[in-house]
Amino acid sequence: MINFEEELKKFHPSLEVEDAEDAIYNQDLTDMADLLVKMIKESEEESEEV
Amino acid sequence: MFCYNCGCQLSEHDFCTACGTDVYLYKKIMFVSNMYFNDGLEKAEIRDLTGAVTSLRQSLKFNKNNIDARNLLGLVYFEMGEVVAALSEWVISKNLRPDKNIADDYIDRLQSNSGRLDSINQTIKKYNQALVYCQQDSKDLAVIQLKKVLSLNPRFIRAHQLLALLYMDSEQWERAERELRKCIDIDRNNTKTLRYMKEVELMLVPDETVKQAGGKRKKDETVRYVSDNEMIIQPLNVREPKRSGVSTLINLGIGLVIGLAVTYFLLVPAAQSNTKQQMQEEIRKISNESDVRAARIQELESEAGKLNGRIEELEARVDGFVGAGGTLEIYDSLLTVAADYLVNQDNMATAAELESIAQVADPDEESEGFRKLYQTLRGVIGPELAQSYYSEASEYFRHEEYPAAIGSFEKAVYYDETHTDALYFLARAYHANGNLEEAIETYQKVLELFPNCNRVSDTRARLKDLGATVE
Repeated sequence: MINFEEELKKFHPSLEVEDAEDAIYNQDLTDMADLLVKMIKESEEESEEV
Repeated sequence: MFCYNCGCQLSEHDFCTACGTDVYLYKKIMFVSNMYFNDGLEKAEIRDLTGAVTSLRQSLKFNKNNIDARNLLGLVYFEMGEVVAALSEWVISKNLRPDKNIADDYIDRLQSNSGRLDSINQTIKKYNQALVYCQQDSKDLAVIQLKKVLSLNPRFIRAHQLLALLYMDSEQWERAERELRKCIDIDRNNTKTLRYMKEVELMLVPDETVKQAGGKRKKDETVRYVSDNEMIIQPLNVREPKRSGVSTLINLGIGLVIGLAVTYFLLVPAAQSNTKQQMQEEIRKISNESDVRAARIQELESEAGKLNGRIEELEARVDGFVGAGGTLEIYDSLLTVAADYLVNQDNMATAAELESIAQVADPDEESEGFRKLYQTLRGVIGPELAQSYYSEASEYFRHEEYPAAIGSFEKAVYYDETHTDALYFLARAYHANGNLEEAIETYQKVLELFPNCNRVSDTRARLKDLGATVE
């Protein structure tokens, strides 16, 4: 049996058009490729230091 | 695919042929991203939008520069009624690849129609308001608001789901089912929709006991459920009686008549009233313009009257110059007199002409040139003429013809004001003629103008005789 109050908590306000700019700026665009490149560069730096 | 280190095109090898960087893992990541994109695309094609969103987001987590995945994710969001999310994805996509990007076209289509964008924004605001109403337990208001939202944006899945939830809460299972069906038409595999649907179907399915009893009692072949405060009993396997073609035609005819009546009684008067209002507005405008023009005409007429007056005044002045007895004619006469005098040296004729000019115009009120010429002429002919008149007057005086003597002495004095004897004998002529007042006045003038002349003692004696005061 579905509990209305509990289900209602799962609904969140939708973003308005005015908020789109903030949503775009705040979006974290880091991807796996970025992480891989960062890791490779860090490991290269460490090996150079050694 | 390009090398993350030097940007060169990668080959089938696991290293960059340009810089030698190991790109094995990098290529794997790109492949995984593409795999998720393909998965998302397949799901989107069969309208599993929720699944497509999950796959496409995964794809972007592996490669944020997967423009196709990002654009498709935007499209899927747009299809689900999540316009702002769609717009965000397209804007990011356009920033990552400014040229030859289909996202540019999508954004343009949305932004070129400002009314559509406003309408979308309104639906979002109304949805948020409906959510607030739900939280405040104003469920009726929330239902009304959500209906408005869905009339403007029928593909807004979250609004459908919330409305279905509200219907479920009020045990309006059929309505809830209808909303959930709409959700499924848009997104076939939405977990929330499916969960709600399961609940609704459970409530709509008749009891097992009722089903079993149905074999025995056909009357009980019904579906029972509660809607609002009412128990709804829907009979199963009941077919609506077929309607004949004639009754359909009659109904159509009645509908047509009602439609025409509504048009005639409601729409036509409204249109007429509108037209009448427009005409009144037009008339008012024309009337205002007419008033302005009338005022202008009056103003122009007044100006015309003033100008006519001015013209008449100027014409009178021109007539005064050029007409009979006008200034030009007088000037002309004076010039003629001067010319005649220079030629003939006739003092008497010149004097007569000057007198006739003096009768028509006052030389002191004319121009300076006129006055100078007049006075010069009079000065030239004056002494001789005065002497001539004096001689003539003396003759009259000796013969006791005093009036004639007075006339001539006056002329002598007029032409030569310094002629002492002429003035003295003018006084004597007045005295002898009985003009005592003029005599006294003239004697006094002799004393005033010529106090050292040889006629002073005689003049004083005569003034005493006349009883006048002597200064």
